[in-house]
Amino acid sequence: MRSRMPPQAYIDEAWFTRERELLFKPLWQFIGLKVMLDKHNAFITRTLSGIPVVVQNFHGELRAFENICPHRQNPIQVQPHGVRPLFCGYHGWSFDREGATRIPHEDALYRFPPEERACIHLRRFALEVVGNLVFVCLAGTPLPIKQQFGAAMLASLTASSLAYDSEVIMTTYEGHFNWKLAYENLRDGHHPRYLHARSLYQDVKFEASISEEGVAGLRRLQEAGIADRSRALGLMRSFSGGGRDAPMAAPPDEPYHAHVERYRDQDWYYNWLAFPNLHIASANGGHAFIIEHHIPVAAGRTDLVVYYLTAKKKQPYASSAAVLHAHMMGTDVVMREDIEVMEQIQRTLHPGARSPHLGDYEFINASLELWYLDLMEGKFAL
Amino acid sequence: MPCKHVIGHGPELVRALAAWRSIAPAAALELRPLEIDPAAGQAALVAALDGLEDPDGEGASAFVALDARFLNGMRLDLMASLRLRGIAMPALVEPGALVAAGVRMDDNCWIGAGAIIQHGSRIGFNTVIGAGAIVGSGVTVGHSAWIDEGVVIGRGARIGAQVTLGLGVIVGHGRQIGKLCIVDKAGRIEQDIAARTFIHATHAQPIVIIGA
Repeated sequence: MRSRMPPQAYIDEAWFTRERELLFKPLWQFIGLKVMLDKHNAFITRTLSGIPVVVQNFHGELRAFENICPHRQNPIQVQPHGVRPLFCGYHGWSFDREGATRIPHEDALYRFPPEERACIHLRRFALEVVGNLVFVCLAGTPLPIKQQFGAAMLASLTASSLAYDSEVIMTTYEGHFNWKLAYENLRDGHHPRYLHARSLYQDVKFEASISEEGVAGLRRLQEAGIADRSRALGLMRSFSGGGRDAPMAAPPDEPYHAHVERYRDQDWYYNWLAFPNLHIASANGGHAFIIEHHIPVAAGRTDLVVYYLTAKKKQPYASSAAVLHAHMMGTDVVMREDIEVMEQIQRTLHPGARSPHLGDYEFINASLELWYLDLMEGKFAL
Repeated sequence: MPCKHVIGHGPELVRALAAWRSIAPAAALELRPLEIDPAAGQAALVAALDGLEDPDGEGASAFVALDARFLNGMRLDLMASLRLRGIAMPALVEPGALVAAGVRMDDNCWIGAGAIIQHGSRIGFNTVIGAGAIVGSGVTVGHSAWIDEGVVIGRGARIGAQVTLGLGVIVGHGRQIGKLCIVDKAGRIEQDIAARTFIHATHAQPIVIIGA
């Protein structure tokens, strides 16, 4: 079938700006792991939809704020993560769990009128914790998170992420591709046998197939369209899901497996796709997990933040850092295979590029693009 | 005649055997190489050492020659297994290395040809200082580190245990690099680096470990 996605959806900055407003700002976005925020004053900073956000632990309670000091717009937390009070190093302003401001030398140097002083506080964002996963929503009136992911997906994310260990390795890849290429790639079960033939496919034999039920649903959608917001939200929930994906070619067997509390006990590749831009997988039957967060930066730029962690340690073991580093470097091979092909595609796109042709096995991506284009054309709003 | 068990893998084993031979002729020291398979797993590696517990009583010693894999942990594990067997593991200082008087070097250190270790430095056990590396005065290098060939460490710097410094790295005077770090990207380091930070030339941003 012929895709309706125009090349502008991947290369045009004005399109990208509209996409941020219509898609990302109303939705819950992953921002980090709760295990990284496990002590008072622990924090994470990320830039989501162009807005700098800080999540800070206040005596066990997580709060999300815009990471901009209301005085001179200096970022309050400068590092991507750490343990530090919510305190601006420029002029010493500090902030409490409500975002209220303490200003040193306030009377002597600032003399704000009461009505202005009342407005000086941090902009707060909604925050939800799903197991070990922390999400924020930049909208003033957030969508209930269950409406975005569905109860079953939230339950699966909760159960699996509670198996995570507290020792996490992470890095960021600076990808030169549009973020949508990542979600299309992740929902394409046919590419691993070619693109990852010498890496991931050696361990897991992914088999793409056509779901006649899924194709029939797509045909109905193409004919009837998305009638209303309720239908649009229901369809969006179908883009998220997770659990067992494909059996492993051989049982996982690494020395560290004896040191961790495995998530479930099945020799399967687990896969969770949380729309729009979060992917979690366990390529070794629940002994360890990779979390990939695709953060759109520009039409042709995506930061790919990658976390890797094992299942919970039964007790500390000396080589845990080496295990994480080895896994990260092993994963790097697969990551680069994906990134390279997405960057190749991005480079080929130009305003007059023809639309791609999708096979019936790609019915999920076809449904997703139909939904996406209706959103971008204003046929419904989130 | 005293013997030395030289345990290791690949080019490091070949180099170590050549280095020990250059120090002691065959008539003075018998070298007994033991090639291990790093992919064999911890139990198999330790089992490979069976039979070394009871040397001939002629002053046997041992040396482990393995690269920086697994954050230098594999070399550390092998060395620890040998230590438990009570075998002496003196440092290897290759001909041409210049080690200032009073520099402390612990067991199983390996100082490559042409390396310079300046006054007041301390090199922890099981650490490898590559050929031509320069270690400034008053430097402390923790145990089981891997300092590649030609690396320069400025005076007073502190290098943590199991750190790997790759080709082309220069550590500024007084800088501190926490344990279990890798810096494998050429250039001069003028900021302290937190433990468990991995800076690879292949990665745009550092890889870091958070939590425990």
